[in-house]
Amino acid sequence: MTTSVPLPQELQTIRISEVSKSYGDYPVLKEISAEVAHGEVVVICGPSGSGKSTLIRTINRLEEINSGSITFDGQNIHAPMRTKALNLLRSRIGFVFQNFNLFPHLSVVENVSISPIRVKGIAADVAHQKALKLLDRVGLADKAQAYPGQLSGGQQQRVAIARALAMEPPVMLFDEPTSALDPEMVGEVLGVMKSLAAEGMTMLCVTHEMGFARDVADRIWFIDAGQILEMAPPEEFFKSPRHPRAQRFLADLRH
Amino acid sequence: MISDMIAIIKDYWLLLLIGQYPNGPLGGLANTLILSALSIALAFPVSILLALARLSKWPWLRWPVTAVVYITRGVPLLMLILWSYFLVPLWTGADVPSFAIMLTTLVVYQGAFLSEVVRAGIVSLGHGQMDAARALGHGYLGAMRYIILPQALFNMIPSILSTFVSTIKDTTLGYVINVPDLTFAASQVNNQLLTQPFQVFLILAMVYYAICWSLTYVANRLERRIARRRAGLSGLGATPLVTPAKIISEQL
Repeated sequence: MTTSVPLPQELQTIRISEVSKSYGDYPVLKEISAEVAHGEVVVICGPSGSGKSTLIRTINRLEEINSGSITFDGQNIHAPMRTKALNLLRSRIGFVFQNFNLFPHLSVVENVSISPIRVKGIAADVAHQKALKLLDRVGLADKAQAYPGQLSGGQQQRVAIARALAMEPPVMLFDEPTSALDPEMVGEVLGVMKSLAAEGMTMLCVTHEMGFARDVADRIWFIDAGQILEMAPPEEFFKSPRHPRAQRFLADLRH
Repeated sequence: MISDMIAIIKDYWLLLLIGQYPNGPLGGLANTLILSALSIALAFPVSILLALARLSKWPWLRWPVTAVVYITRGVPLLMLILWSYFLVPLWTGADVPSFAIMLTTLVVYQGAFLSEVVRAGIVSLGHGQMDAARALGHGYLGAMRYIILPQALFNMIPSILSTFVSTIKDTTLGYVINVPDLTFAASQVNNQLLTQPFQVFLILAMVYYAICWSLTYVANRLERRIARRRAGLSGLGATPLVTPAKIISEQL
């Protein structure tokens, strides 16, 4: 996986088909259909309240859906299944939260190694060594023994990425990973995400970082009011968005 | 007066310490400590199970447990003790020792109170921690065991401690069903002396205070040690650089 060019249909890793979801009477997602190919980087953008975060949370079933289906490597994520099977599926989809959600009672290296140890049953010393390698990769090897409360927001989010990577997921989902950060810390997190993309990781990112979208994304999905209004490569999306709502969104961003 | 109290302790220390033992059942301070320790040791895990049941997504588990917790919390402990004392032998026909009756009643009663503390601790963590654990593939119980409960229980140490302390104090109610504990022994001493109730019961109060204070002291030290470790300050000496912001609510 060294390419980030979209691969043919049979290599799709995530397929979302006609997914609808509503909170009570209020529809959040309206018959959304889309595919993500192996090694593809998709940036999901749109105004707030458009359903971006809900959509990405349905992909590892942190949110249930009302109808439609989402398959990951051919497995229907929202089919009725044993919790063991669902946990196994989830462990193969990395998820990075807006608020990091690190485990504050565990040291940084324990945050990264606890899931391989407890979920995969990997020996503690092996998981520990691997955690240190991952922390080195996100530039935080020296913080291994620190606790989350001692780290800056940017450092915490990089630990959160390392924690997700520790399960060796073929796919990573990012839910506004830089929205809770001070501006000067956004760069370090985007840097880690860029290096992941360069290594061929399949990624879905909900983000408002249009610079990142332009540089790294293979495709942009523009969502508004629970529908994907536009799917386009970044150069096309930024230069000549077709949908009037997307044109207005981009115009607002430039102010 | 202090000389009176010293004299009482000199004359009756063995009775106050172990009751009639070995000529009768074990009693006095020893029995109070055993009853307290067993009540706390059993009520704590029971409270975690009750809290998990009350947070369960299955109504058939949630509703009965909620009802039990509400009813238990809504009636006086003394009444529960009398109920168990008179009704259990009536229903079962078995001769249940009063110690066992007292222990069971205390475990149920304090377990119900403690379960609300544990539940509050879990709920106050918010969804983020559970979401993160689930997203990494942890099962519900695994997430509870390794992620949620270590945080929830730590945050609730002051309230948990209050319940432990009140459990110790509630063992005195065993007196009404003739559990031979420290209070029972003190009352025997008082009946023999007749003229010195103030001195006898002051000794009793001081012993209970010492027990409850020791527990509070140990728990506070434990809390500070964990807080220091989580602030990454272990091995930096005894004085915490970051004092945990906490409302001390121990109830003595």
